[in-house]
Amino acid sequence: MDLWTIIIISIIKILFVVTITLLTVSYLVYFERKISAWVQDRIGPNRVGWYGLLQPFADVFKLFLKEDIVPDASIKSIHTLAPIITLFVAFSTYAVLPWGPPVNIFGYEIPLVLADVNSGILIVLALTSLGVYGITFSGWASGSKYSLLGGVRSSAQMISYEISMGFSVAGVLLISESLRPAAIIESQSGWMWNAFIQPIGFITFLVSAFAETNRLPFDLPEAEPELVGGYHTEYSSMKFAAFFLAEYANMIISSGLIVTLYLGGWQVPYIETFGLSSGWVTMMQIGAFFFKVGAVLFFFIWVRWSIPRFKYNQLMNLGWKVMFPLALVNLVWVAILVMLLN
Amino acid sequence: MAKKKRLKDLNFLEKIYLPEISKGLVQTFKKMFQPRFTMEYPEVKFEPPDSYRGRPVLVQEENGEERCVACGLCSRVCPALAIEIQAGETEREKERYPERFEINMIRCIFCGLCEEVCPEEAIIMSKDYELVFSNREDALYGKDKLLVPINELQDRINFLRKHK
Amino acid sequence: MPKFQIDGKEFEFKNGQTVLEVALENGIDIPHFCYHPLLSISGNCRMCLVEIEKMPKLMISCSTLAAEGMVVHTQSERAINARKAVMEFFLINHPLDCPICDEAGECKLQDYTYQHSIGESRFTETKNLKEKRVPLGPYVMFDGDRCIACSRCIRFCDEIAKSSQLTFVKRGDRVTIETFPGMQLDNSYSLNVTDICPVGALTNRDFRFKARVWDMSATKSVCIGCSRGCNIEVWVRSNEIMRLTPRFNPDVNQYWMCDEGRLKTWKHVNSDTRINGPQLRKNGTLAEVGWDEAYAFAISELKNFNKDEIGIILSSSASMEDNYMGIKFGKSVLGAKYFGYKSKVLKGSGDDILITDDKAPNTFGLELLLKSFSVRIENSFEQVMSLINEGKIKALLVIEDDILSGSEELNKTLDRLDLLIVTASNMNKTAEKAHIIFAASTYAEKNGTFVNVSGRIQRTKPAVVTSERERSLDGFEMSRLDKFGTEWDKWGKVNKIEARASWKILNGLGVVMGQKLKYNMAEEVFVDLSKTIDKLSGLDYRAIGETGVQLKLTNTN
Repeated sequence: MDLWTIIIISIIKILFVVTITLLTVSYLVYFERKISAWVQDRIGPNRVGWYGLLQPFADVFKLFLKEDIVPDASIKSIHTLAPIITLFVAFSTYAVLPWGPPVNIFGYEIPLVLADVNSGILIVLALTSLGVYGITFSGWASGSKYSLLGGVRSSAQMISYEISMGFSVAGVLLISESLRPAAIIESQSGWMWNAFIQPIGFITFLVSAFAETNRLPFDLPEAEPELVGGYHTEYSSMKFAAFFLAEYANMIISSGLIVTLYLGGWQVPYIETFGLSSGWVTMMQIGAFFFKVGAVLFFFIWVRWSIPRFKYNQLMNLGWKVMFPLALVNLVWVAILVMLLN
Repeated sequence: MAKKKRLKDLNFLEKIYLPEISKGLVQTFKKMFQPRFTMEYPEVKFEPPDSYRGRPVLVQEENGEERCVACGLCSRVCPALAIEIQAGETEREKERYPERFEINMIRCIFCGLCEEVCPEEAIIMSKDYELVFSNREDALYGKDKLLVPINELQDRINFLRKHK
Repeated sequence: MPKFQIDGKEFEFKNGQTVLEVALENGIDIPHFCYHPLLSISGNCRMCLVEIEKMPKLMISCSTLAAEGMVVHTQSERAINARKAVMEFFLINHPLDCPICDEAGECKLQDYTYQHSIGESRFTETKNLKEKRVPLGPYVMFDGDRCIACSRCIRFCDEIAKSSQLTFVKRGDRVTIETFPGMQLDNSYSLNVTDICPVGALTNRDFRFKARVWDMSATKSVCIGCSRGCNIEVWVRSNEIMRLTPRFNPDVNQYWMCDEGRLKTWKHVNSDTRINGPQLRKNGTLAEVGWDEAYAFAISELKNFNKDEIGIILSSSASMEDNYMGIKFGKSVLGAKYFGYKSKVLKGSGDDILITDDKAPNTFGLELLLKSFSVRIENSFEQVMSLINEGKIKALLVIEDDILSGSEELNKTLDRLDLLIVTASNMNKTAEKAHIIFAASTYAEKNGTFVNVSGRIQRTKPAVVTSERERSLDGFEMSRLDKFGTEWDKWGKVNKIEARASWKILNGLGVVMGQKLKYNMAEEVFVDLSKTIDKLSGLDYRAIGETGVQLKLTNTN
């Protein structure tokens, strides 16, 4: 493969991923509203387009037309920088997530991942940690007490849950013996999904993922009753939309990560025994990945409309006194498992 | 500080939250498949019960005349001062009639006191709830908008006679 | 003084007083319909029944003379039951048409039904129907159904108006009131029967169905129809005068006023002919301008004339304040020598009840003012007019008077003038000829004082709001609608005339010309003028009060 082929293939893949992501993000908002409506015996958006399917575009159009308000008391440069950081971090994480097995097209073997990096998982963890800067900056730069409180809460919450998240991932890495996402997926062949092997780790990771994405029941940085809107109180128009998009993009990343680390990634258990042609297998595997991600996303939304918000002290208690020890327990358990089975 | 005793201590399963959370999740999941309560308003209209207090209207008798004798009691009792009446003299048996009868629908609070006080059963709370106007002048409903034929109000009149 | 007891309390009385009179004097309310303090006792309504010890039956208190040692019970069970029974009899045939009836809200029968009746009817038969909507005269409408046959109106015509025009016909429950054949209820005081009628049987045709009593505000004022100065109340709704009613003043008009005053002295206040803002004659036609422009123009025009070329016409219809400012402005600012006023006496138009020959309310006061400034009074108007004819007076300032009405021959005289300045409330013949018109407030829009034919000084109070005033801020009487209305309500968005009181106009002119005295309120003008007239010394608006003060007439100066 010469350099130009790699560049062209990469550009195609980037376009594919970005388009899919943006569409998913906007339709995630639509489904969030629909599912919330169903949970509450309502109908949900149904005015714009067929069953309200054009609602996301209407929303974006509205946000485009809104006035971009920058408060007098804000630090203007950082106020503008914050949503850019948040959105940039959210989208760059997609680079290392594999959404299918390597495919053979026209004699080229193409991995279905933008960057098949050795330290993929580390990059994901590093980038998601960077995301907290965007939120903290926005809280600091807005010149508003509500935003500041939201920003501070967010950084404290993210740092706390980063720990248990990291230790949960460590359990996965012990088994896969690699930081490459593709390798982690391959290590979960059959029903050897990490979710079944290390359920405690799965739960701690899942809970931490909720906390990292600021989703209910851990959406304290933007708790409306206490903080008006939290860190994005002073944002409007497309800057607000950037935060909004980033939140949902993060949700997709988290779902993708959960699928990759614990639910076997693009693997369909024992697909080789079905006797399908290799093309069908690849198609099914890509489909399986998106299906699994969709299911986890549905779970995210489902939980949001079922469980009320934690208090801040409960959040911290849960993070440090429950999740962190559980992650350690999980690590020990996996270590013993690896030792025994090897 | 004395520690408050709980009415009932949580058992182990309750303490680890997970079973309770999954109970909640099951509950909301069931809800997703239950029938919706939403009424899709402009296509589907709400048909109010007889006890509903919508826009106050004036009863128009079958011969096309208004029942109102412009006594001014509704105007006097109206807590929001929404009603303004100018009485006039007619040749009919009831000497008095409203030359001008205006309800300021911005002021009206739909309390129904006018209906209750009316000695002639002439002002009735209709079932009309579709009140839209884009300026203050349009919100002044004169006799042209207020007069409603009696057969359209029979439900409410029967309801009042039964319960008043 | 002899004493007797009512409800356990001792009261003194004068010989010849009835029980009811003593009770009312002392604030004990015995309900009554037919009794009226100024009419003869008829005793036919039976409402004032009271129990008197040692008398076999209940007595009507209106015709029972009080006697030493008498013990009266108005709240005993027998008295209360009797009242209830009487009310029940009244309500047998009285229609339940309060919603239609104009009297509702100020109806004695309505009030007593709440206070003294059992609250429901036991009468199941059909009611007696009588004639409705009978015009008894030009101003009074009669409704036979509502009449409770108290005979107040009949006695009023006989005893007060001195023209027996009404009588009872038929008997028992068919009794009704009619005018004598070939007669109408058309005496000069006929509308008073609508005031004294305790029910809505007699109503004012002019006011019929115009407004509810509770929607109006009532301002205590004085009638300007003639020099009697009857005390009145001005009833206003949505800044429009709806009616006038007489107000009790034992020294002037008792309970009465004439139809002329009641109907014809206020229509101009609401009329379309009101002058709305000052007007200047430009190229032969009158055009509305702002006050400042009008003041400046008037001053620049007046400066073209010598002092003795300027004449001033005062008005016996204008208030003391307006005339005082007229004289003061003329003397100290313009230096004018010639003042005059047109007499409004119509010989033979008065009677010996209330109406006087002089159709101006303030002739007495104006003459007091002129005397105190040592200005000629006799034939002063004719003098000014002849000076105009001679060409000596070239500029004339007319204060609130239509000098042309009734004197068409003066048309040519006024044509000779180089400058005619008029303050007027309505467009009239004089104003049409004017070069400058200042819009003046009417008596219903300003504070003012008037001295009546017998030398009694009385006040008018503003009841209608002009553009510069605010009902709630300037202490006007407020009806319910005024209190709660906003500018977005029809009744709140009232028509305010752009007008000022004449004294204020002259004060404004004086200020532009550099006069030092500046008045902000009518009362300041009055306090100043009371210092120049001995008879008024020490008086102010508070001292004049609601019923006025009689001036001492003995020491003439």
